[in-house]
Amino acid sequence: MTFLDAHRVVDAVWKMESARIVAGLVRMVGDVGLAEELAQDAVLAALEQWPEAGVPDNPGAWLMAIAKRRAVDHLRREERRERGQELLAHDLGTRPDDGERDVDDLVDALDGEVGDDVLRLMFVSCHPVLSTEARVALTLRLIGGLRTDEIARAFLVSESAVAQRIVRAKRALSDAHVPFEVPSGPERAARLSSVLEVIYLVFNEGYAATAGDDLMRPSLCLEALRLGRVLAELTPDEAEVHGLVALMELQQSRSAARTGPSGEPVVLHEQNRGRWDPLLIRRGFAALLRARQAGGPLGPYVLQAAIAACHARAATPEETDWPQIAALYEALVRVLPTPVVQLNRAVALAMAYGPRAGLTLVDTLTGEPALKGYHLLPAVRGDLLARLGRHGEARAEFERAASLTRNTPERAVLLRRAATCAEEATAEAAEAGREEATEARPAKAIGQPPAGRRAADGDVTLGRAMGLFLARPDLRADTVRSYTQTLSRLCRHLGEDVPLRDVTSHRVAEVFAAAWGTAAGATWNRHRAALRSFASWAAERGWATADLAAPLDRRPEPRARTRPIDRSRLESLWERPDVPLRERTLWLLLYESAAPADWALSLNVEDLDLPGMRGEVKARRHWLRWQSGTAALLPLLVGDRRRGPLFLADRRPGPGRMPAAADLCPHTGRGRLSYERAEYLFKRATRDLDPEGGGYTLHRLRHSRLAHLGEDGWSAPMLMSLSGHASARTLHGFVRVPRPADTVA
Amino acid sequence: MRFLMTTKGGSRTPDAAMMAEMGAFIEEMTRAGVLLATGGLEPGGLRMISSGGEITVTDGPFTEAKEAIVSFALIEARSREEAVELARRFWKIVGDGEGAIQRVFGPEDAPGPGPR
Repeated sequence: MTFLDAHRVVDAVWKMESARIVAGLVRMVGDVGLAEELAQDAVLAALEQWPEAGVPDNPGAWLMAIAKRRAVDHLRREERRERGQELLAHDLGTRPDDGERDVDDLVDALDGEVGDDVLRLMFVSCHPVLSTEARVALTLRLIGGLRTDEIARAFLVSESAVAQRIVRAKRALSDAHVPFEVPSGPERAARLSSVLEVIYLVFNEGYAATAGDDLMRPSLCLEALRLGRVLAELTPDEAEVHGLVALMELQQSRSAARTGPSGEPVVLHEQNRGRWDPLLIRRGFAALLRARQAGGPLGPYVLQAAIAACHARAATPEETDWPQIAALYEALVRVLPTPVVQLNRAVALAMAYGPRAGLTLVDTLTGEPALKGYHLLPAVRGDLLARLGRHGEARAEFERAASLTRNTPERAVLLRRAATCAEEATAEAAEAGREEATEARPAKAIGQPPAGRRAADGDVTLGRAMGLFLARPDLRADTVRSYTQTLSRLCRHLGEDVPLRDVTSHRVAEVFAAAWGTAAGATWNRHRAALRSFASWAAERGWATADLAAPLDRRPEPRARTRPIDRSRLESLWERPDVPLRERTLWLLLYESAAPADWALSLNVEDLDLPGMRGEVKARRHWLRWQSGTAALLPLLVGDRRRGPLFLADRRPGPGRMPAAADLCPHTGRGRLSYERAEYLFKRATRDLDPEGGGYTLHRLRHSRLAHLGEDGWSAPMLMSLSGHASARTLHGFVRVPRPADTVA
Repeated sequence: MRFLMTTKGGSRTPDAAMMAEMGAFIEEMTRAGVLLATGGLEPGGLRMISSGGEITVTDGPFTEAKEAIVSFALIEARSREEAVELARRFWKIVGDGEGAIQRVFGPEDAPGPGPR
């Protein structure tokens, strides 16, 4: 070992062991700051001794042993100090064993749950009493074992700033008496998401590193991955943890492909997929699989990982499953409703269903304050406009995007695109000019007019058109009132004097998003109807373009529907001990698969794919999928049976009522459980759960599941594929159904 | 950075206890993302020589059995020292034997603009 520098060996061993050592010490001494000091003492001891005595055989255990000894010394000192205040010195001398034993107990306990201690330490170092920067620095320091100077280099701040941050963080934890524990109950989810946030922040910091940066920065990605993997090991049942790991593995798999030879960023669809790291992709898929096995509602990390997986699966950009990605974004928007996610969703919609579909959504985002100054909004909008052949508008958007980005290579790309659009637009204008010369008709305006332009003679203004529109004799009084609300809002935003022909659908969409973007579906639709009526009236007169209302999508309005059963009621049903195995399995299967009851009852033992957690409904050619609850029960229910109906009646059929052979169990001679009987059993069992006292129907059980999944953020296509609903319409009550905007009139 | 660890033949044949210990070690390292790939190698294999545009494939002769590589592990570590420490744990389980640790160059080692 002599050829390796002892300092570097100490550093490497420390990085591997720091989390365990510090965590164990915090448990002993109860204070993060003190624990770290003690651990540092052990590192110092190693630095003193290893260069001369050589690196010990088991350096990790060596460090741990020294650190523990220091902790024991400390505890003894504390104890003596406390006793000194109460007892005489000779008293201490006569009872030396007590202190010894307490400390030994502590040390024994320390050897036990090392993993749990590391988890506790993660929760503590990501505690909400700390600022985000402090959480990041402390986590890297304590769990990652990074030195202060390494953290400083990675985050491009001074070493003293990081040291300050860490000192303050440790003091804050101590002042707040943050307990060394894994939180439980509702607090656990919030605290866990703080841990995940910190890890993902570290990852993104590394991801944002560019060529020429200190190597320490890109290595943050690997550090975050390591932290994520450690956490996943400690919390194997948390889907979101696996989701985050999957997301990072998949993003990291592209690291070699995402910059070009001169350091410029290469966008996903232009990357050389041959440079993607298949090892990491495989790890990403495996982590995603574990996330799905953990079950539960689909959280933001699992959904983002699923999107990344869609890209990873495609060998070429053309093979990308965009409808699937759009559906996943739809689900993501519900759990992470940020404008940036919406913008990504718009891109996916455009790829799946055409640029118009994407533009419709993008146009609703232009009023978002959060996206002001975000260069990707005009960049995306420009791209969609160009694909629609609206080159004049596209050019303006690209120029705006270029002025907003600080990244030089990116700006160059955007300006190039603006120039291309300008050429296209000029060519079009020339074309239009020729037509004008021959047909003597007015050239159409390209792009938006300069701001503040006043109405020229003959131009109808918005205010005047509104007056004429509302003054028509055939309108009812309440219609006029309703329309007035919509149109006067429009006038307030755009100005009464603006020429109607200058009002673009884009501007109208902005007003709508700002005024009613968050209103109920019915309200939005009422204003939309008013505008559509006005737009078609104005278009008939040649005053406005016909598509003024085109970007405005109709929004779903909740309809009367089967009311879902409370989750809590169902929970209590699953927990009831007296439910027979057959019923328990059937009900859980119906709930988990959200399939119609007659499909579940038609299942045969030979149609089951137990490891795959699915069974085929032969008559429907549909695979019914269940989750862990059903999966645990099915083997018990099937027993030794190899064939025949899965759910059997209680008795053998009488000779006069012999069912078809397919409905008879070859092993027991019993018939298939009938729908009527299954319905009766469920109603009877749930009578005391149902506030109305009648008991629930199986239909309602299934729909409860759909409602719950809808609440959890599942989108219509996902629900349809799960439940076998043939039409998205019947799912209307459960989710917002995405429709390709191409079909909007 | 990635490292390739290889072991040479000639070490003792594994017993059940060692297999179990090694299995647990491999699983732990895989989960932690440290171990990317590992496997045992067929002794000998095929020998290929490309010379003057001519490619010959033969099934021998090979180096002595104790010189041949019989297993490999591809690992992801933060430093050479960390790789050594991991290898040390591996050899603790295996017992006597001989092997090598070699850095696998990645995109960050390519000439040009540095890390990607």
